[in-house]
Amino acid sequence: MASEQFVQYLISGITSGSIYALVGLGFTIIYAVTKIINFAQGEFVMLGGLVSFTLIYRAGIPLVPALILAILIAAAVGAAMYLLAIRPPKKASVVSLIIITIGVAMFVRGIAGQVLTKEFIRLPSFSGEKSISFLGASIDPQALWIIGTMVMVTIILHLFLTYTMVGKALKACAINPVASSLVGINPKTMALIAFVLAAAIGGIGGVVFAPLTLMSYQGGVMLGLKGFVAAAIGGFKSPVAAVIGGLLLGIIESFAVAANWGPFTSAYKDAIALVVLLLILLIRSGKLAEEERAG
Amino acid sequence: MNGSVILETKGLTKAFGGLVALDKVDLSIETSKITAVIGPNGAGKTTLFNLITGVYPVSGGEIYFQGALLNKVPPHKRASLGIVRTFQHVYLFGNMTVLENVMSGQHPRSSYGFLEAALSLPKARREEEAISLNAIKYLNLVGLGTYAEHDALSLPLGQQKLLAIARALATEPRLILLDEPGAGLNTLEKRQLSDLIRSIKEMEITVLLVEHDMPLVMGIAEWVIVLDSGQKIAEGTAAQIQKNPKVIAAYLGEEVE
Amino acid sequence: MIARLKSNWSYLAIATLFAFLILAPFDWFLGQYTTLMIVIGIYTIVTVGLCLLMGYTGQVSLGQAAFFGMGAYISAILSTTYGFNPWLAMLVAAVATGAFAYIIGYPIFRLKGNYLAMATLGLGLIMWIVFKQLNQFFGEPDGISGIPYLSIGGFVFNTSFRRYFLVWFFCLAVLLISQNIVRSRTGRALRAIHGSEAAAESIGINVDQFKVKILVLSAVYASLAGSLFAHHLRYVGAQPFDFMASVKLVVMAVIGGLASVWGAIFGAGATHVLSDELLLRFGDWDVIIYGLILVLVMIFMPEGLFVRLKDILERLRLRYRRRGVEP
Repeated sequence: MASEQFVQYLISGITSGSIYALVGLGFTIIYAVTKIINFAQGEFVMLGGLVSFTLIYRAGIPLVPALILAILIAAAVGAAMYLLAIRPPKKASVVSLIIITIGVAMFVRGIAGQVLTKEFIRLPSFSGEKSISFLGASIDPQALWIIGTMVMVTIILHLFLTYTMVGKALKACAINPVASSLVGINPKTMALIAFVLAAAIGGIGGVVFAPLTLMSYQGGVMLGLKGFVAAAIGGFKSPVAAVIGGLLLGIIESFAVAANWGPFTSAYKDAIALVVLLLILLIRSGKLAEEERAG
Repeated sequence: MNGSVILETKGLTKAFGGLVALDKVDLSIETSKITAVIGPNGAGKTTLFNLITGVYPVSGGEIYFQGALLNKVPPHKRASLGIVRTFQHVYLFGNMTVLENVMSGQHPRSSYGFLEAALSLPKARREEEAISLNAIKYLNLVGLGTYAEHDALSLPLGQQKLLAIARALATEPRLILLDEPGAGLNTLEKRQLSDLIRSIKEMEITVLLVEHDMPLVMGIAEWVIVLDSGQKIAEGTAAQIQKNPKVIAAYLGEEVE
Repeated sequence: MIARLKSNWSYLAIATLFAFLILAPFDWFLGQYTTLMIVIGIYTIVTVGLCLLMGYTGQVSLGQAAFFGMGAYISAILSTTYGFNPWLAMLVAAVATGAFAYIIGYPIFRLKGNYLAMATLGLGLIMWIVFKQLNQFFGEPDGISGIPYLSIGGFVFNTSFRRYFLVWFFCLAVLLISQNIVRSRTGRALRAIHGSEAAAESIGINVDQFKVKILVLSAVYASLAGSLFAHHLRYVGAQPFDFMASVKLVVMAVIGGLASVWGAIFGAGATHVLSDELLLRFGDWDVIIYGLILVLVMIFMPEGLFVRLKDILERLRLRYRRRGVEP
């Protein structure tokens, strides 16, 4: 493969990987604090894209305020989801919660389709359409926005978790909910914050991704799945690992399609994420087996 | 010491990474006796139980049950060999009635499988009859006969612990390991527990118990083994142990619970 | 052949059900809904397996449609491309699906909770992609058609009336077998595993083996249902076996009451009718309402609609009993 092609595929992989990373961050945050896998995570990304589109083209709001408003709305939906669907059930089992998040995802997806738009939409690029040349490859400037945003979000999140009171409380809650509640950290408040944070990050992802690719109200499903794989690679514990996982997945996808291996034509690009997922689970299952044997 | 030995450990060791929970422990548990294992927190008592029941694999040494090596026997097979345990946190089957919990205990003493169950064949029905009758017998033994149809979790803690013992007895064991049976019980319940343990002994079942309540232990144990930091530091009758300076030092050395 | 039931009321209820089912496909009763009830019967078979796996044994499967689809596709391919006798194809499908479940069972059950859910989800999705590939290989791009009807000797199941009885024959057989299993030592072992794996193991239950066995059973049920599905529609596409299909199956199990074998009929029926009705009445809004219902049911009635109804009936019955009036 020529080096320009290599760079092209690499950047393409890192770009989509950045989106997966953002979704994966959302999964990780919610899981770490509440032990819930939020199947609606992908929908927050979708909302980011579709809501900003609606605000810009139907309500005539200028670009930047529309983007910010869209992210806030996504965050609000996250809060509503937690308060209305997650907090109420007491002693809900894993299965129940999974079904609930699936139900919310369906609901949000359907409403978005009905109220916002059924069509494939695209936002205007943030800084124009002219490709940038880098190491022989031509890159859409939006890709830089995406990668840059992902890096910013990761850094800010890290600072937040490490240096602010709320962030530290979140981390404490993730590590040991019982002990944290004993020192006055309210797990319910932490859970709410986790949902809002995850939704906002998802919204941000949607907002930067929408200019690069066509999005529809159904788009959340696949993004959610891939973000999940990203988080799974990170073991659902570390935001940084989720980011690495997302990037890895994006890169693997990109090169698998490039190499045109067997079933991995672009039509089956999505299957790659599944295979990676099953590999991870297989490895985990194998590790658990080893642990049992070694004691 | 008269009587034969039902359980023996030689150089039994268990390490979790760098932490050694049991360090070359040699034990000899006599048949049909009530033996207690005591020691400060972290002494390795629960680890010992977990090794005997197979929950943890052994790091070193051997365990012999009725003369046969136990190390490689998978945990679920040990019940049919005659080893059963109760848990500190009870672990009842909350989705069943009291009676069903005890009937579950008959699992290793019955044998009909999926096919016979699916078609409700005569063998299945016959065994179910026997299972029911036996379960009621054990339920009555612990005094919970009238609660047969109640939900298992509707019982107060003291009775839940009795139910757990009934379930264990239903496996028709040779050796029963009781993990802190007295925890959370009031004085009356503890007395009932002591009586129950003595009747278990009379059924010629060997009792091995871990317990923190000293009066309870000293009241029923015929033999006491003391562990501290993974090692056996003393054994003897209750009277001997109470006067043993090493034992006193071990307990005085630990933080107030 | 039937294990004893809880009370005489249960016998009465089942007898009523039998009568209803036998009379249903006649035109003067519910004949116009025969096709609907065939499909409900097929889904009930899958749902019962899922109830045993999830409700009784406490495991999770978000990919049960994979087994359902395997039954359908194997039956379809063997009876069209390879000219197998449909009954033989059905048997082969069931054995193959069961074997597959056996192979993935041990590694998969090392995972617990969320991870198990995701593994089954991933498997379901992968099988769906496989099905789509099979469409291309063995049939027209979107599915395999030309699947023959089932027949016994010269008697062909070519009318809905006939297929109705065929399907419900299997369905009732599955229900009775499952009922027997639940009330047996095996059923107790499964519930013990759900209650406490540690305690179950301590009383001699081979936890891993039971989990795999019940997975295999649920897979065989699903495969059987899939084969019946193929020979009913005479066409299989990948769409009825996608992720939403697996979700619907879980919903059927949940609404029917996870720990209720007979509730599966109710769960399958209610869910299927609901999603069809919603689609008819509300067009695109069906997904929205469906999602809303899912959330509400799981929040307020996690033990299942059917079980809640049974509880209410049971409480009424006890109240009458106390007043000295024998029902």
